[in-house]
Amino acid sequence: MIDPVPATELYFEATISLSNDVRFLTVMRHTIENLTAVLGWNDSESQAITLALEEALTNKIRHAYKDRPEGRIQFQFRTEPDALVFQLTDQGEPPDPARIDARRDNLQAGGFGTRIMKDVMDKVVYRTTQEGNHVILTKYLPRHSNDAQDGTL
Amino acid sequence: MNLSLRTSENTRIVDITGDVDLRGTPQLRKLLFEALKESPKVVINLTGIRYIDSSGIAALIEALNESKRLKRQFVLFGMNRRVHEVFKLTHVHPLFQIVETEEEALGAGNSENQA
Repeated sequence: MIDPVPATELYFEATISLSNDVRFLTVMRHTIENLTAVLGWNDSESQAITLALEEALTNKIRHAYKDRPEGRIQFQFRTEPDALVFQLTDQGEPPDPARIDARRDNLQAGGFGTRIMKDVMDKVVYRTTQEGNHVILTKYLPRHSNDAQDGTL
Repeated sequence: MNLSLRTSENTRIVDITGDVDLRGTPQLRKLLFEALKESPKVVINLTGIRYIDSSGIAALIEALNESKRLKRQFVLFGMNRRVHEVFKLTHVHPLFQIVETEEEALGAGNSENQA
């Protein structure tokens, strides 16, 4: 049996373009769960990262395209030497700054997605360019994370 | 996601199974609101949930708010590790009345009502 390559030496890059359709949530969920497990996160961390990414995708579906089926979302993943980076791009409505800045102590029915992304990921950056609205989420690989202690996020 | 509704005396029990995400939360919200209208106490069985996202949490929060408005009891039970972690991430855990078993959920609040 071949010894597994350390997670930090693995390379992965993919771009997936998908319709603005909630049925793709399950597809992306399984992809991210499997990828994060391969890259060395434990089950709990893997679930949290998957949830954060699903929230980013859900925001595109609900807010950028307001459930319009003709919208397209570009979902990019890539490994960097110390991190896994996701970039989601849409050509819909730019994100509402009030939602992006949702306060953790404001417990209303909504805004959880943004908070989950910020709590789980090491960096969340929003950017609007001519190509569309981007949200870039970075999670440092387990051995590089300063936040991860004893497997907790 | 699958939803089913049972009745035990004056309590509606909602069993939720599978993946709770944006696809199913409108249906979940509708069922919870209907159950709250019909019964003084609604108990939610979370045991069979494999995955829940923030839209599922939002539906539960909306139902909780509705239960307060209608002065109904709203109790959750059977929270598995995966569901617990999402509650923790969303910081909503303290808002709900959460117990471990269905028996506890059915009994929950009976003493409160008497108090």
